[in-house]
Amino acid sequence: MNKELNRRDFLKNTTAVTAGVATIASGITLTTFAANDNPVTNEKRWGMLVDTNKLTESNINDMVNACQEENGWGSEIHSTGHQKPSWIKKIKVKDKVTGKIDMLPMMCQHCEHPPCVDVCPTNASMKREDGIVLVDKHLCIGCRYCMMACPYDARSFVHEDLSNQKEHMPRGKGTVESCTMCVHRVDKGEMPACAEAVSSNGVIFGDLYDANSKINQTLKKIQSTQIRTDLNLNTGVRYSGI
Amino acid sequence: MRHLLIIFLALAFTSVFAHADKHVNLGDRATELKDEGKSRDIHPSLAEIRKMHPEFLLHKRDKTLRQGVRTQRDSLKECVNCHSSTKNDEYVPINAPDQFCSTCHQKVGTSLDCFSCHRTTPKEGL
Ligand code: SF4
Ligand code: SF4
Repeated sequence: MNKELNRRDFLKNTTAVTAGVATIASGITLTTFAANDNPVTNEKRWGMLVDTNKLTESNINDMVNACQEENGWGSEIHSTGHQKPSWIKKIKVKDKVTGKIDMLPMMCQHCEHPPCVDVCPTNASMKREDGIVLVDKHLCIGCRYCMMACPYDARSFVHEDLSNQKEHMPRGKGTVESCTMCVHRVDKGEMPACAEAVSSNGVIFGDLYDANSKINQTLKKIQSTQIRTDLNLNTGVRYSGI
Repeated sequence: MRHLLIIFLALAFTSVFAHADKHVNLGDRATELKDEGKSRDIHPSLAEIRKMHPEFLLHKRDKTLRQGVRTQRDSLKECVNCHSSTKNDEYVPINAPDQFCSTCHQKVGTSLDCFSCHRTTPKEGL
């Protein structure tokens, strides 16, 4: 297949499994292998429902450990205290009036209107079409505006040189990082590591828009809430039981 | 004087072409594939991949990160998988001096920063 290659065609062609060779003006041949992986679309929106009534403290610890194991954070040796990355953490909330205490896992809430994206000067902080909020570390200059802007304290800055990163999760000094909803797994049709670590229905992961998905159906039935609903961020992570 | 110049030029060219013909450290898997005669299936043109690999990688990185298109072609992971070498049953980081990436980049004085974030050896363990 010989044809003039332009960016639009290149993007369009990704639907068909073809290998094409295009000759561009300077005589250099560009070989393009379009794959059958389509770009993600906004027909889906990934989300999670955390039911604190079904989660024990050790479930939450398991979630944190699974995230560390999957994404390779948490063994930084030179970072101290608040410098240490934390993509997901266990937090305790107490109702001052009733004294009721809840433990919940807290990570990036994958906001529909993410303040971290609004403030980023380089476009590094970004939201995918399917609602997953990420940091493009290629563009991140480490200014940390997004850390200031995030109401959930979900982002961390890497303070030290790293090595032996996970193959699927590049991380490095001078850039900001946060929960990616295990985007590398989601793209393979798997669920995030934290959700998998809990065997009960404590964490349900799925497509919020799909009327047949478990998360959509559960949200229709039970009482759930976003944390800091007042900010109107329309988070992808929802909680029930608090 | 002119003879000297010609000899000098001849020597310079042979060394350039000698360098162009083979890479000092191709990496284990890539050497295997080359010996099996399969390397042209992966890189149809040597000149192209040498000249264009930064563009290929850049294009691929945006598609993967921003659009979730995950293919093997032009993926940095696959570069590392094929072009890493082992020493004493352990992978040597691909950005170490004299390894695949560094040999050329050192020669042309390019300092690049892929590997402060990306893993420098193939997948966990051998
Ligand atoms: S929770 Fe924080 S980091 Fe995640 S999308 Fe919202 S503002 Fe951004
Ligand atoms: S730290 Fe990086 S991702 Fe965050 S606002 Fe600055 S450039 Fe953007």
